Amino acid sequence: MPALLELQRSLREQLFGDATGGEALLAGDDGALRLAIYRNTAFATLVNALRLSFPAVQRLVGADFFAAAAHEFIRRNPPGSAYLNDYGADFAGFLAGYPPAAALAYLGDVAQLEWAVNRALHASDVPRLDLAQLAALDESALSHVSFCAHPALSLLRLEFPADAIWRAVLEQSDAAMAAIDLSSGPVHLLIERNAAGVQVRCLSAAAWEFTARLSAGRPLSAVLADGSEGDVDAWLAEHLALGRFIDFRCSTSAGTTVAIGETRS
Amino acid sequence: MTGSTHSVNEHSPIPAAAGIGLRFPHHELVAQGRPQVAWFEVHAENYFGGGAARQVLTSVRRDYPLSLHGVGLSLGSAEELDGRHLRRIAELVRSIEPGLVSEHLSWSVVGGRYLADLLPLPLTEEALAVVCRHVEQTQAALQRRILIENPSTYLQFRHSTIPEWEFMSAVAQRTGCGILCDVNNIFVSASNHGWDAQRYLNALPTAAVGEIHLAGHALLTLDNGRTVRIDDHGSNVAAEVWALYVQALRRFGAKPTLIEWDTDIPAFEVLLDEAAQAATLMRAVAGNHACAA
Repeated sequence: MPALLELQRSLREQLFGDATGGEALLAGDDGALRLAIYRNTAFATLVNALRLSFPAVQRLVGADFFAAAAHEFIRRNPPGSAYLNDYGADFAGFLAGYPPAAALAYLGDVAQLEWAVNRALHASDVPRLDLAQLAALDESALSHVSFCAHPALSLLRLEFPADAIWRAVLEQSDAAMAAIDLSSGPVHLLIERNAAGVQVRCLSAAAWEFTARLSAGRPLSAVLADGSEGDVDAWLAEHLALGRFIDFRCSTSAGTTVAIGETRS
Repeated sequence: MTGSTHSVNEHSPIPAAAGIGLRFPHHELVAQGRPQVAWFEVHAENYFGGGAARQVLTSVRRDYPLSLHGVGLSLGSAEELDGRHLRRIAELVRSIEPGLVSEHLSWSVVGGRYLADLLPLPLTEEALAVVCRHVEQTQAALQRRILIENPSTYLQFRHSTIPEWEFMSAVAQRTGCGILCDVNNIFVSASNHGWDAQRYLNALPTAAVGEIHLAGHALLTLDNGRTVRIDDHGSNVAAEVWALYVQALRRFGAKPTLIEWDTDIPAFEVLLDEAAQAATLMRAVAGNHACAA
């Protein structure tokens, strides 16, 4: 009689791996057929979770191709938690290296965008940064301030025009699809959630670079010192006004960090 | 936040009436139309995040009693519970103050991987100790009693030593948790394993039963020609399950009864009809001792 942990490890290998012989644990003479019921349910559930998060990818490759790719992905990367809206972070990387999809060079980029959209859709509701607290800082403190980005915010630099492909596919617009120039160069995207839903915005390379550095937590003074060709004041004002940051910190010149904003968990 | 000092169950109890499992396709209809439904139940894991889904849940909660049904805590895992998952449930419970919180007698997680189904446990003393420890941990974290649902199963382990109805009763007795009696699951498992469904019902401690689930199931023919009943929640409640529900009402009295439908989700009216059928039976069979239990 196996201990419970041993049995559960064995069943994982039976259901998600290549192991066989689990029916020896089971009553009756058709245990393998009965285990297959659970295997089918688990894979159907997970393929469906990926379909919900990657609808444009599915349309691009077709339902059967998607299911085959998803099966392979699931076997290699079973979910790490039962919160399935959080499952699929590695699917874009998997698709980019999935040999049967090699002809669709842009597929990984579209999947990266869909994952960012999915993250924005399900991110926690967090109050935006309190601008009054920021306004109360003196000049020297202000120069050391760094920001914490909203969990719904993503910044993607993609080689292909994934935003145009994504829209054309979901709108099922052949005309929009035909107008896409795959060699048009990289796109710089900001994905966020506002009251109207998830937004995908195309930024200039300079605005994207500035925003990406700030949202990665680099101090404002350092980002400004990096230099930028553009209206950084306007960009910063927009980020603050639209609630893209939820907190700020003040780093002293000694390099220690002092939290100024209200602590939020 | 209400700021109320009353316990949750005092100000938003789930009534002994027929409720409906709320799923995404009906979010808008319910949020906009506020149909006449006694109460709703939702899957906890669908609302761990924020945004539109959480907004709908919060708004539905304002107008209906709400029950929170977890499908991923994996109370039967030999390893420790996923602390992050438990914290997410606790946060949701604090936020929406549900009238009932329930989970399953099953496991889904091993080695930090979620196997995406409610898997059956070997019914042994070791498994009983594991489940009881995790129910107690969950009740402590949520600071409230939870209900445990009997599973539908398609296989049994050779080394199981405890009948499922005794296992369920023992968990309730040892931890003080309640029982969510899924009548469809009893019928499905009894059919699949040759158990006596009536005996199962009779063995459950009446006072512990806090909720009943009803759903449709499907028939699957295996390659060896045998038929297995599959709990797919994809059709109307079967006639035999309605009959078993009547037996459950006779034994337990009127209880909050949920209609669940998760695959091929139909028009909302179909769910209303199923709920009306449950309500009619509840009145007819258990109307006289709605408060008896």
